[in-house]
Amino acid sequence: MEMEFRNLSCGYGQRRVVDGISLKLKVGEVVGLLGANGCGKTTLIKTILGLLPVQGGEVLLDGKNIRNWTSAQIARVIGYIPQMHTPPFPFEVLDVVLMGRTAHIKPFSSPSPQDVKIAEQALDMLNISYLRDRVYTEISGGERQLVLIARALAQEPRILIMDEPTASLDFGNQIKVLSHVKQLAGMNIAVLMSCHFPEHAFIYSNRAVLLNEGKILHSGTPGETITAERLKTLYGVDVDIVSVKNRMNQELRVCIPSRNFALQPMQSMDRRKEYAFA
Amino acid sequence: MKTVIKERIAEVKTKRDAGWKILILLSTLILIFILSFALGRYPVPPGQLLEVLASRVFPIEAHWNATVETVIFQVRLPRIFAAILVGAALSTAGAAYQGMFKNPLVSPDILGASAGAGFGAALAIYFSFSMLGIQMMAFVGGLLAVGLTYGISLRIRHDPMLALVLSGIMIGSLFSAAISCIKYIADPYDKLPAITFWLMGSLASITTRDVYMALTPILFGCILLYLLRWRLNVLAMGEEEARVLGINTGVMKTIVIVCCTLMTAASVSISGMIGWVGLVIPHLARMIVGPNYRVLLPASILLGGGYLLLVDDLARLLASMEIPLGILTALIGVPFFLYLLLNSKWGWK
Repeated sequence: MEMEFRNLSCGYGQRRVVDGISLKLKVGEVVGLLGANGCGKTTLIKTILGLLPVQGGEVLLDGKNIRNWTSAQIARVIGYIPQMHTPPFPFEVLDVVLMGRTAHIKPFSSPSPQDVKIAEQALDMLNISYLRDRVYTEISGGERQLVLIARALAQEPRILIMDEPTASLDFGNQIKVLSHVKQLAGMNIAVLMSCHFPEHAFIYSNRAVLLNEGKILHSGTPGETITAERLKTLYGVDVDIVSVKNRMNQELRVCIPSRNFALQPMQSMDRRKEYAFA
Repeated sequence: MKTVIKERIAEVKTKRDAGWKILILLSTLILIFILSFALGRYPVPPGQLLEVLASRVFPIEAHWNATVETVIFQVRLPRIFAAILVGAALSTAGAAYQGMFKNPLVSPDILGASAGAGFGAALAIYFSFSMLGIQMMAFVGGLLAVGLTYGISLRIRHDPMLALVLSGIMIGSLFSAAISCIKYIADPYDKLPAITFWLMGSLASITTRDVYMALTPILFGCILLYLLRWRLNVLAMGEEEARVLGINTGVMKTIVIVCCTLMTAASVSISGMIGWVGLVIPHLARMIVGPNYRVLLPASILLGGGYLLLVDDLARLLASMEIPLGILTALIGVPFFLYLLLNSKWGWK
């Protein structure tokens, strides 16, 4: 399975947010989508999922345009993991995961024992079987996000879209949730993940795509794509990218702000002096 | 320790319990049903009641007063069935809407069904229509109001759910104003009290024909919603998510609205305006069996039917004069709802 955007434009009504981008996604790879707030990441994702109409160009799945596909047809191929959310009703975790089977269930039917088995396997794969009978609204944010990944897995998609899956998760939960992303790619799924930290793209993706003001600034392996210069263009801040080794002797790249933090309090003191003299 | 207890509570909430709970609710409804026959201005002892009921099936010689039979079959039976039917319909519609709007404070008249039906009835009373005419006008009025709401909401280019609620509130207010207008110009000695009493809601003058009339749309709505129970669960996660999970939310929303409107309009047309049932009962049902529509819908039907039947019994018995049902449902419903909010674990967050 291969997904391709050809000269894709999207936006809301008259407003064009993403302007003619082309990109290919192959099964087994994780593509990290980086960009500032409002650069069009979410708009692009909503258009791929069929929540917004395509404004120009096309979205192709194995060469077929999905413009006229029903939501069930799309859902059988593309899974989606939203940002952490709390629904108003206290569904059980198993029911939430079973909702991933909806596109495979006939309109008047309910999940079959076979569907329950698939949902349980999905929970098992993420090591959260213990959550099966818990109430979704009462578990922790990190656990909820893992449940949403299980739901997407139960959907048996070939392409998985994640919209900042770790937004509003604490430090530990971010690592716990993201550690499963590569595992997903190993299951013959193509993953497109929008990230809000360049480090996440370095560690968890095979390819990084930088989106700047609705256009692709650059795309390629994270190492060669994410440079200090391009991050400056993207986010308007100066950063240094450094390589460090972790305890497992793996080399990782991290971004740190290039700024003399020690200078700031001095400046404010200087200013106070000026006021004193004035 | 706290989390361990929490986990235990969660474990207890398994599916095996749901079957039990439904069974208990069903027995309660049957109990109230039998009790309601015996209660009233003309008391029928339980033994005699069973005999009279059995005589319809088995050849038992009638050794009782003919009045007993009239009271049971002509007066109480249609009224009891109407109370169950209306209570079940309003609760089911409320449960479906609360999920669809992702809001547990929504009631079946959110899209203006009750106000529209009230307007139709008021207009029919003003023009001195027959009882049948009033009911038909009420039914059509309810459908018309919701049709308008839905049509307008499609033209609003924002959040579609919010658009529905907003246009529902506006259409509801518009029809309420129209009701006031009719009341204002109606004959104050004859028509005005008739309209006012109709709007208060009552099952006092229910006939067997009324029950049959309301039965078809209500059964249609209940059955269709039950068939769609799984999709209602998914819809309760929010519109965008339901679409991404493979549901055609446009079609699904339309079906839910059609079902709920048919049920609400049919109920209001035979009973007048009865508030709070459709809001409180789904809430209570969710507290008992959880939010899964597979059990929530049956629980709402049984609880709603039993509840309205009980309240209608009170309406018959509490005072020497009948108390309008709509007043009682509010007088009982509101404190009860407040009690639930203050004292128990919420069925939602």
